[in-house]
Amino acid sequence: MPPDPIVEIDGLWKSFGEVSAVEDLSFTVQRGQVYGLLGPNGAGKTTSLRVLMGLERPTRGTARLFGERVVPSSRQLARVGAMVEQAAFVPHLSGMRNLRLWWEAGGARMKDADLDGALAIAGLDDAIDRKVKTYSQGMKQRLGFARLLLGRPELLVLDEPTNGLDPGEIREIRELITRLSTHGATVLLSSHHLSEVEQVCSHVLVMNRGRLVADGTVSDLVGAAGLVYVEVDDRERARAILSNLPNVSKVQVQGDGLIVELLDGQRSDIVATLVGAGLRLETIMPTQQLEEAFLEILAAGDAARSRTEQAAAPA
Amino acid sequence: MIALIRTEFFKAANRTRTLVIGLLLVGLPTLIVFAIKSRGNRPRNADDAQGLFRLAQQSGLLVPAAVLSVMSGFLLVVIAGTFAGDSVAGDASWGNLRYLLMRPVPRGRLLVAKAIVAATLIWSATILVSLAALVGGVVVFGAKALSIPGLGAFAPGALATGFNISQATLLLRLGIGTAYVAFGFTALLAMGTFFSILTDTAASAIGATVGVYIVSEILDGITQLGRIRYAFPTHYLNSWETMFTDNRYSHDMVVGLVVQLVYLAVFGTIALIWFRRKDIRS
Repeated sequence: MPPDPIVEIDGLWKSFGEVSAVEDLSFTVQRGQVYGLLGPNGAGKTTSLRVLMGLERPTRGTARLFGERVVPSSRQLARVGAMVEQAAFVPHLSGMRNLRLWWEAGGARMKDADLDGALAIAGLDDAIDRKVKTYSQGMKQRLGFARLLLGRPELLVLDEPTNGLDPGEIREIRELITRLSTHGATVLLSSHHLSEVEQVCSHVLVMNRGRLVADGTVSDLVGAAGLVYVEVDDRERARAILSNLPNVSKVQVQGDGLIVELLDGQRSDIVATLVGAGLRLETIMPTQQLEEAFLEILAAGDAARSRTEQAAAPA
Repeated sequence: MIALIRTEFFKAANRTRTLVIGLLLVGLPTLIVFAIKSRGNRPRNADDAQGLFRLAQQSGLLVPAAVLSVMSGFLLVVIAGTFAGDSVAGDASWGNLRYLLMRPVPRGRLLVAKAIVAATLIWSATILVSLAALVGGVVVFGAKALSIPGLGAFAPGALATGFNISQATLLLRLGIGTAYVAFGFTALLAMGTFFSILTDTAASAIGATVGVYIVSEILDGITQLGRIRYAFPTHYLNSWETMFTDNRYSHDMVVGLVVQLVYLAVFGTIALIWFRRKDIRS
């Protein structure tokens, strides 16, 4: 399938006075991907999404949606359903009235909206006719999902969508995101919940202090940053082969398999090498979770940044 | 644009605050009518003989003018400032503004729609005051023509020879006066809308708008400031009253309209430019 970029961020910088919130950020989200923006608080995730949604102007660089440069009120926004930070509504109006007013404010007719589908997603039943100020945070988030789905969007932009929710609600929201992605929606999800990204996303971009520090599939990030457990039909031969690979620093026996310590590269390199040597690969899996990989990536990024800053500082 | 105005109006009109303001704007004029009635039974000072309140005892058709005169100095300013200052900052304080702007809704169009809704509410408030006072005034004092006897050569203007104003003319002038008072909040509307996009807190925008008007009224009272006072948004606000007190249309009314339009053009343009370029962080 040819590349079909839905989101293109190119050399994006966003500064507030002397403070840089985003520095030279570039990434592309292809159609059908569930793309995670991962990073600690203050990493620049929300600012990047605000620029993408035309709420803020970039200091430098560009953001594109469906191939067109994003400007405030860009017509491409009609194809996007977004929830940036927490869902917010007019508190003195009912959930239903909020949905209707928001939809009609864009000049669209209510009959063109997927109201039934959105209400089914919200699952608020009779509460949909209550004033929003009586809603719990979870109900507001669900109503927020209903609102962003009214226009049957091709792209969902979700910024910390499970913040403030209880475990049951978090599970519901994650299942919903997965369901929507399997129905063809492209998803750009910002989160600092590692488990959320690990469960939901196919691709991950890690940000720290406004910069991109890692980018790839979840399994690539987990594998690339640490140890991989491998089981093959001929353990000793595999050990000899892997020990000679330039991107492997250490190979140790553990139980029936091997623990391979990767310097860089991807797990797919190991798979290709072993299969190419005629070995039967029975198991290959990361020995760490995304959380450990994430912390290692951040630490490596911080170290590289301080080295750069020290080198740039006047003697 | 019509849809945007309709949705914005629905949001603003369906607030408890708007309902309370509506009740206040009906109740207070009614209270003033009874105050005028009770005052009429007491001995008067010479000072208030020519005032609108004195005239209002002659005819219920003059009561709205008296009520507008007293309410446009502060209460209507606060109410108009509330509608204008809350226009954008209200949505921002709820966090709802970003959701409006994450749709292909041009920012300029949204701002104009919000300003139109605020203007509609300000005009409605002024008309409501006038109507409530008219009903109360006619019930209590009747709908008589106005007759002012001549006060002699030493009295100023029309008061020297006296004058009569028919019921039809009183109603016409009441309509003009009400419209002038409502239009007199145009500068406030423009400034309030501008302040409303500068902050994400509705109370701050409302406070700033009302504060500017209060400062303007205070400075306008300092005659030593000379001609600079003519540019204040509050300077010509009461020039409509001569239609009733002196039986003449003051030239200041025209100047007052021009001053309001200038404020609208200046602050409206700045607000539009600012809002189009603003980073929306709420």
